[in-house]
Amino acid sequence: MDPAARLGFAQIDVLAQLAVSTVLLGGIYALIAVGLTLIFGIMRVVNFAHGEFLMLGMYLAFFAFTMRNLDPYLVLLAAIPIFFGVGLIVYVLIMKGVIHASHNVQIFTTVGLSTALQNVALVLWSGDFQVFRPWESSVVLRVAGTAFNLSQVIAFAVAVALTVALIAFMKWTHTGRVMRATAQDRDAATLMGIDTDRVYRLTFAIGIACVGAAGVLVSPLYAAYPQAGLQFVTLAYVVVVLGGLGDMAGAMLGSLIVAAVEVGGSYVFGAAWKEVFYFLLFIGVLVFRPAGIFGQRGAETLGT
Amino acid sequence: MSRLAPDRWAAIVLFGAAAVTPLFVRDTFILDSVILILLWGALSAAWNVAGGYAGQVSLGHAAFFGIGAYAAALMSARYGRSPWLGLGVGVLLSIGAGAMIGYLSNRLKGPYFALSTIAFAEVLKIVASRWRGFTAGSEGVPVPFRPGFWTLGLGHVAWLYLILVLALGCYALQIYLERSRIGYQLAGVREDEDAAEALGIATRRRKVQAIVVSAALTSASGSLWAQYVGFVDPTHVFSIDLSVRFALNAIIGGIGTALGPFLGSVLITSLETYLRATFSGIKAGFTGIYLIIYGVVLILIVRFAPEGLTGIASRLRARRIRAHA
Repeated sequence: MDPAARLGFAQIDVLAQLAVSTVLLGGIYALIAVGLTLIFGIMRVVNFAHGEFLMLGMYLAFFAFTMRNLDPYLVLLAAIPIFFGVGLIVYVLIMKGVIHASHNVQIFTTVGLSTALQNVALVLWSGDFQVFRPWESSVVLRVAGTAFNLSQVIAFAVAVALTVALIAFMKWTHTGRVMRATAQDRDAATLMGIDTDRVYRLTFAIGIACVGAAGVLVSPLYAAYPQAGLQFVTLAYVVVVLGGLGDMAGAMLGSLIVAAVEVGGSYVFGAAWKEVFYFLLFIGVLVFRPAGIFGQRGAETLGT
Repeated sequence: MSRLAPDRWAAIVLFGAAAVTPLFVRDTFILDSVILILLWGALSAAWNVAGGYAGQVSLGHAAFFGIGAYAAALMSARYGRSPWLGLGVGVLLSIGAGAMIGYLSNRLKGPYFALSTIAFAEVLKIVASRWRGFTAGSEGVPVPFRPGFWTLGLGHVAWLYLILVLALGCYALQIYLERSRIGYQLAGVREDEDAAEALGIATRRRKVQAIVVSAALTSASGSLWAQYVGFVDPTHVFSIDLSVRFALNAIIGGIGTALGPFLGSVLITSLETYLRATFSGIKAGFTGIYLIIYGVVLILIVRFAPEGLTGIASRLRARRIRAHA
């Protein structure tokens, strides 16, 4: 599915193309991973259902396009508040009750949510691959011996803009500071008068809004199907662990590394084997540097 | 003579009922249901050895199941040898893989460990579906049916007793873990690893042992499953759904109890069989419906009854005893 393989190598400069593909792919991965890492960093919960919200975002864009002929980038404007709302509802109904529970309870709650959502999609929309092509996907841009389509460029630009906006929000706004304080020390934050329940609610909603937006952005590039979230979310785990769980800047760098492994691996060994490389990378990182490439030592045992 | 605890009685009733079923029923649908209940129960019991008794919650046990399924299927389909030989090879491979994952579990805790086990199963899934020359790729491997015990071409009644032996073996192992020294040591590791280590328990070795035993049993069950069902498909045998299912039965029935996995399997497998019979017309829709129920039940159980059905039962009993006193 990567653009390098689709276009053929005869007419383009291979290395430049691989580099551009890496960056474009990395930007999208970053938006998926940043929500996951935010939820983990602040709530200390690994959201195993993260990919399912991406899948829902893809279906939203697909149906908006096929039934109302709406451009996916227009849908994006509605998708962010919609998924923010979905995040709030899921938090209140499901996550709120397990936020102080043991790891096992949290793991199986989100796993259960993932199974349920995947199969709701299967029942409602069948297991068929749903593809659509807005006009942007047919526009090929050629710059300095590289070629890519407009959908990829827009997806990359919007994803990076949203990721950077989120990082800025966390760094410079009062709410962002409150969220970071909660991440550092839940009890101390409560003693300072911070309403941690409100922080978790907001965190989960923002995380889901990010991944829902990412779903809309990738929908012109990848087929939507009930398990579509799985391929992206396993990759997002890799990104998040590489960057250090909870570290948003780390997630951006991790995304680039994973994208590079994917693009390079599929160029050298063929697209069929590309997933093997980032899973091996994942296991390698877990074994040798479980706190991430520049994470603190011992972070992997946090909250146990 | 000491009196048997109620959950032991329940186990005797459950396994006894399974054992006498073929004496009264010849209907293949019912025999098939009983076989699957026992098989999924055995698999969940195998998961329970690591996930329940030792607290090493894996979401990648499908890896061992798949290794076992492929080893047996390839041994009989590709090499024309006995699937029992394949079962043995699968168990050996799974012991190796289990030791590797066990080593990971010594470094990683909670969600990190669960993530690494998922990654492990995913790698095997990709290898099995892409390595066409050896595994036949994503087309899967059909298992040839050759009648006889050595080739595992058995009738339903023979299968039922074979799987019953497997289930009883898994149950007995769990009982052993509830009353042996090594079982108490595992409980110590699960509840407080630092304290266990301070008491001189070789926590690392115990964790690896629990995972290796669990992996070997899962693999053997996978081999038998492949021979019983007759087809091995890489996207199914290595799927996360399968790994979740092993855990699900144990959690619903009661995680870390001997009866729990089998109780959970009775409920979940019967539900699946019932829905399959009812909705067999709408194929995709049916699979979805029972998996939606799985997901919702999983969320509700871990939230409101984390000790599962056996936990609820013993709570009710304790209340009744108090009311009488």
